[in-house]
Amino acid sequence: MAPSESSSRPPLRSLIVRTRKRTVLGFDPQQIIKHFFGANASTAVIVLVLIMIFLVREGIDFLPTYRRELETYRKAGLELCDIADNPLKQQQDLTSVLRRAWAATTDPAAKEVLSDAEDTFDTAIEPAAEVLDELKELAKETKELAVEFHTLEEGRQQLLNAAAKTTDAAARADLLKEAEASKLEPVDFAERITPLLERRGELATKMHEYTVTLEEAVKAFPQNNVLVDQVRAAVPAHIAEIKAAAGRMQAWQWDKPVSIFSVIGAFFFGTEWITNSSWQDFYGFVPLLAGSVVIALIAVLIATPISVIAAIYTNQFATDREKELIKPVIEFIQAIPSVVLGFIGISLVGNLIKEVSEWGFLQWVPGFPIQERLNMFNAGCLLAFMAVPTMFSLSEDALNNVPRAYIDASDALGATKLQTVFRVIVPAGISGILSAILLGLGRVIGETMVVLLVAGNRIAIPDFSAGPGVIFQPAHTLTGIIAQELGEVSRGSSHWQALFMVGIVLFAISLLVNWCARAVARRFEPHKA
Amino acid sequence: MNPVPTAENPFAGDNSGIQKRETAARWALRAGSYLVVLTTAAIMLHIFVKGAPVAFQSKWPFINTQFLTELPATLHVIEGKQGQHIETDVNGADAVKKQLGENFLSEKTISYSGGGILGPIVGTALLVVVSVSVALFLGVSCAIYLSEYAKKGKFLETVRLAILNLAGVPSVVFGLFGLGAFVLTAPKFVDVPAERSVFSIPLGFTTLSFEGWDTCVLSGGFTLAFVILPVIITASEQCLQAVPQGFRETSMALGATRWQTIRYSVLPFATPGILTSSILGIARAAGETAPIMFTAALAFKDKLPWQKDLPPLPADASIFAHWEQSVSRFLGIFTESVQALPYHIYTLAAKIPQNEYAERAQYGSVFVFLVLVATLAAASIWLRIHLRKKYKW
Repeated sequence: MAPSESSSRPPLRSLIVRTRKRTVLGFDPQQIIKHFFGANASTAVIVLVLIMIFLVREGIDFLPTYRRELETYRKAGLELCDIADNPLKQQQDLTSVLRRAWAATTDPAAKEVLSDAEDTFDTAIEPAAEVLDELKELAKETKELAVEFHTLEEGRQQLLNAAAKTTDAAARADLLKEAEASKLEPVDFAERITPLLERRGELATKMHEYTVTLEEAVKAFPQNNVLVDQVRAAVPAHIAEIKAAAGRMQAWQWDKPVSIFSVIGAFFFGTEWITNSSWQDFYGFVPLLAGSVVIALIAVLIATPISVIAAIYTNQFATDREKELIKPVIEFIQAIPSVVLGFIGISLVGNLIKEVSEWGFLQWVPGFPIQERLNMFNAGCLLAFMAVPTMFSLSEDALNNVPRAYIDASDALGATKLQTVFRVIVPAGISGILSAILLGLGRVIGETMVVLLVAGNRIAIPDFSAGPGVIFQPAHTLTGIIAQELGEVSRGSSHWQALFMVGIVLFAISLLVNWCARAVARRFEPHKA
Repeated sequence: MNPVPTAENPFAGDNSGIQKRETAARWALRAGSYLVVLTTAAIMLHIFVKGAPVAFQSKWPFINTQFLTELPATLHVIEGKQGQHIETDVNGADAVKKQLGENFLSEKTISYSGGGILGPIVGTALLVVVSVSVALFLGVSCAIYLSEYAKKGKFLETVRLAILNLAGVPSVVFGLFGLGAFVLTAPKFVDVPAERSVFSIPLGFTTLSFEGWDTCVLSGGFTLAFVILPVIITASEQCLQAVPQGFRETSMALGATRWQTIRYSVLPFATPGILTSSILGIARAAGETAPIMFTAALAFKDKLPWQKDLPPLPADASIFAHWEQSVSRFLGIFTESVQALPYHIYTLAAKIPQNEYAERAQYGSVFVFLVLVATLAAASIWLRIHLRKKYKW
């Protein structure tokens, strides 16, 4: 029976090799696991794409919305009023300088002359200002009508859409009736603009009269007074601007269409960011960008030397015990939440800078003594502190990656340690250091809480005529404006869309900085030994 | 003719010129490095000196339990004519005024500065739990793919580029993304889709409507998860790469499948490192403010997330009804907006006028916040050391 027994035993091969693989619903389980992890790996890509999609979805309507608003601004005549208003506003600055001069003089005769001059300034502008105010009133009324019409029209469209969707006949009739009730005659801009167009000649005449009076008044100014000389120097430019404005008023056309390019220009090159105004909202990008860029530059200028020095020292000179101290401390900085640093900026650094700026022997520093505790320099210092860990660890990696042979060769040639470090190691690692600086810059531009708390939040282009002292002025930033204003606006309004546009630009900047950092790292890559 | 033996060592560096420059440069570099260390120490010391008195007290139990266990409230400071300042809350104000009678001089109210910070602590903890769970799951899976499965190619390059770029996206942009994606669009099961729903899929018994989760712990947690995702991926991948290649080869040689290899020969040895990597993630998730500003955080809330008013159950309610209510109470925690510590600090620092009472609340919160972050980190480090003992190679 033995032979038959041995023949019934299955061959060894079939025991070891499974001919049919185990499957789950017809798929190889190993493949399923692999694809599961692959799908998870693609999350990063998907999230990046989703960020783009959602930013664009909320922000893309900004251009048409802003275009419509600017069109109303023009058609209602608000633009015409602003042409005249902007130069006339300078009169207030001039008067305030005169008032300061008046307060500063002690001579009673000069005081009298100055107070007379101030009166002349004030009375001279009155006729022009009166006409302008009436025109403004008219223009604003037109604008309000237009806005009301637009709102009702939008509501009506929604009602009509709802009516088209409902299946219930009675409900549809109700909706249609409601839609009919909210129907409004569109605003006749052509008719409403006529009085403005007719009276612009009158306004121009009044403005001309004002300039003549001004020229006369300047002649009577007392000599040898710094502040008065300032006014005297500023008046011709002021008069020239008013004359130019009068010319522009004549050339102004109310029905010139607003092209999409001018809207893009108004956003990217607009110098005013004004929201919640009863007159007209403007979404100009430049003040925010200027604030962000100045703060980022300050931060990078401070952080670069410190972190590169620390990286060189830790990598090349420090003893092991020093390394054990410096590295964890710098890594710990990364864990400090940014809002805590912002709070430190308000409570500690701000007062510190202000006190230092009042020391007598430091008065040669431009901008000292400073006016505002919260300013761009303060924010820049704290951001520099935040950027140190990024720059430090990446620079240190770069120095670490310098091939050992370079150092040995330098040593063999008899170079001192210092020569080896600065002539061999640093140049060889320069690509990594540069890309570390760029990534630090990216971190600084994108930082929100510190600038929101510390930068001072004044929405205006910093006054660069102040020289280097400009860094002690307050400013607002791209990131700060989103954090500050988004919570208070309603979804879908032009303001909301404008903030998402700022978000899109920030996103683009961060991608650009990253790309540059990678390009730099590749461009200067040392030849591997 | 013998050469005169020189007393000097010919190999000694000369003491002037180069040597001096060398020493000077070394000291300059050292000074630069220690500047950073000293600044950090100074800031920490400042917070400790100003914040510790708020969180601790000289009497038993030495910890200011009121500050840690009460919800934020408005502080009423009543000034008497004898120059005394009495601090009380909104309920105690009238009694104190009555007691002072003639002596009452003035009353000041300071928002958010009274009570404690339990609400923000709980909110931050919830946000961290949600975000770290999501990010660890996605991040570790992604790292496993990158380290164990991926072959060089277009897909791998794209993923790596995306991770790099994701790490550079400003946190406020993540906030905008979270607002657009989770608060306003994320899918949700509802009976009747809201008007703003992007689109809805009827499923018979319910409807899957893309109408968003509103501002709540989930929205904020998911937003934070994507903020910390790159950190976790990068760190986890490094840990997986650190496991010796021989472990994998041995396992494969014994006939194990790829998954068995990962499960039994790679992951156990990489886990300690991955847990450490989540320290950074926790610290960052707890500290970020901008992403939760529009997605989860509230400036003020007088209830903890689980103290929600649910309709009382009838006396004869079945055990099932009780069970259902407990579940809905638990799930409700994640669909509520919360206070969070970083946002609370922001509110205290930026939204209310500064005075000594506000300052006390600020430093107290900042101190507790830093201590919490440091404790989390320490716990993870301890865990890593503990796990390291088990696996050594």
